[in-house]
Amino acid sequence: MRVALLDYGAGNLHSLGKALERGGATVSVTSDWDRALAADALVLPGVGAFSAAVAALPEDRNRVRDALARGLPCLGICLGMQLFFDGSDEGEGEGIGLIPGRVRQLDAPVVPHMGWNDVDEVGDPLFAGLGGGLAAYFAHSYRCDPVDSAIVIGWTEYAGDRMAAAVRWKRSWGVQFHPEKSSRGGLKLVANFLEMARQ
Amino acid sequence: MSLHPRVVVCLDVKDGRVVKGTRFKGLRDVGDPVELAARYEAEGADEIVYLDISASREGRGTLLDLVRRTAEVLFVPLTVGGGIREVADIGQLLRAGADKISVNTAAVGEPELLSEGASRFGSQCIVISVDAARSPTNGWRAFTHGGSVPTGLDAVGWAAEAVQRGAGEVLLTSIDRDGARTGYDVELTRAVAELVPVPVVASGGAGEAAHLRDTFVNGMASAALVAGILHDGLTTVGALKTALADWGVDVRLTSPVPGPVGEAA
Repeated sequence: MRVALLDYGAGNLHSLGKALERGGATVSVTSDWDRALAADALVLPGVGAFSAAVAALPEDRNRVRDALARGLPCLGICLGMQLFFDGSDEGEGEGIGLIPGRVRQLDAPVVPHMGWNDVDEVGDPLFAGLGGGLAAYFAHSYRCDPVDSAIVIGWTEYAGDRMAAAVRWKRSWGVQFHPEKSSRGGLKLVANFLEMARQ
Repeated sequence: MSLHPRVVVCLDVKDGRVVKGTRFKGLRDVGDPVELAARYEAEGADEIVYLDISASREGRGTLLDLVRRTAEVLFVPLTVGGGIREVADIGQLLRAGADKISVNTAAVGEPELLSEGASRFGSQCIVISVDAARSPTNGWRAFTHGGSVPTGLDAVGWAAEAVQRGAGEVLLTSIDRDGARTGYDVELTRAVAELVPVPVVASGGAGEAAHLRDTFVNGMASAALVAGILHDGLTTVGALKTALADWGVDVRLTSPVPGPVGEAA
């Protein structure tokens, strides 16, 4: 299984690449959308700022949206999940527009929301074998606010605020936390994604 | 449901090896950082910190290579500090596989490093490291160069300024308690944690699990850094966390999911 790991040009992609390889994937790191959309699965990593990542999206957002609508399996992590939405308070530019909603600044006394927090999941196979949830590593200052909460497959709570920790739209999954930094549970989740992508 | 207080393990690294000693004196080699980091993850460490004390240019190259090798087997966050002078150094380390970088000396001399680093890479990966010692008169003073050079700055005020400039976390070390194993400087930790709107990692003084509880409960620390007592084999991350959990501190207990972790795979 060939997985394209999209490179926006900043940050650590090593751990995520290795996590995917452990799940049996052949990983190619690329910033070329022709190559990315031709792979068996696409991973949008979670490093950098919204505007910079938006600048790395193809001018025609429909290309990405159509590929995902046709069933190209996709995992968006942190910022990568935020790209599924229409836009963000963090910066200029439009996201992929896959999921209606906006990315908003966290309203909490301590921001970023940084550290290990529990994820309450609702039974999606992404969390298979995790015993009903996991403690995952978060590091973010913005949160996804979907119009339709039915797409949320995992919740977390921070500073009294319940927010989407994971979403699913067809064969696209988004997680606000970093599975590649969430030890064994996170690696299991990455393997689960690859398992579903193979089907 | 809320954030779990973190237990962070720090490894002092020189020329690609883990060394032990009292900061810069009496250093001896205690092992391979990659192997040790993976072992601490398996024991339940929530995060690993590499503090590089290599002085030479060659040492920097070795560090980047080490970070690269570590990122391939470590699946908890990795913070790297020591010797960072400019924004390019930050970019190199992040690109090599660090999740966060920590700066001390360079940020005191050039605070713009924090704002530039934060705007380029995001606040969540910029850690301000503050080495603080109690002042004979009042409060605490900040030091640089591994605790040897006084800055004259008020440590609490400097931590707050650094956060305002873009740091997303404070790594706060009590020089007085470092290596003493008599407990963290809880008053210092609380003074900073009450003032800054970002997580504070308490460092210096860990001798037993009760010290960690004290810094979480009374010091308002988001995380506690542990080093010597683990490297000397006096306790394990698992034993510390079990004791904390027994006292009702909501630490993350190691995932029950079976499977390989770190180098064991």
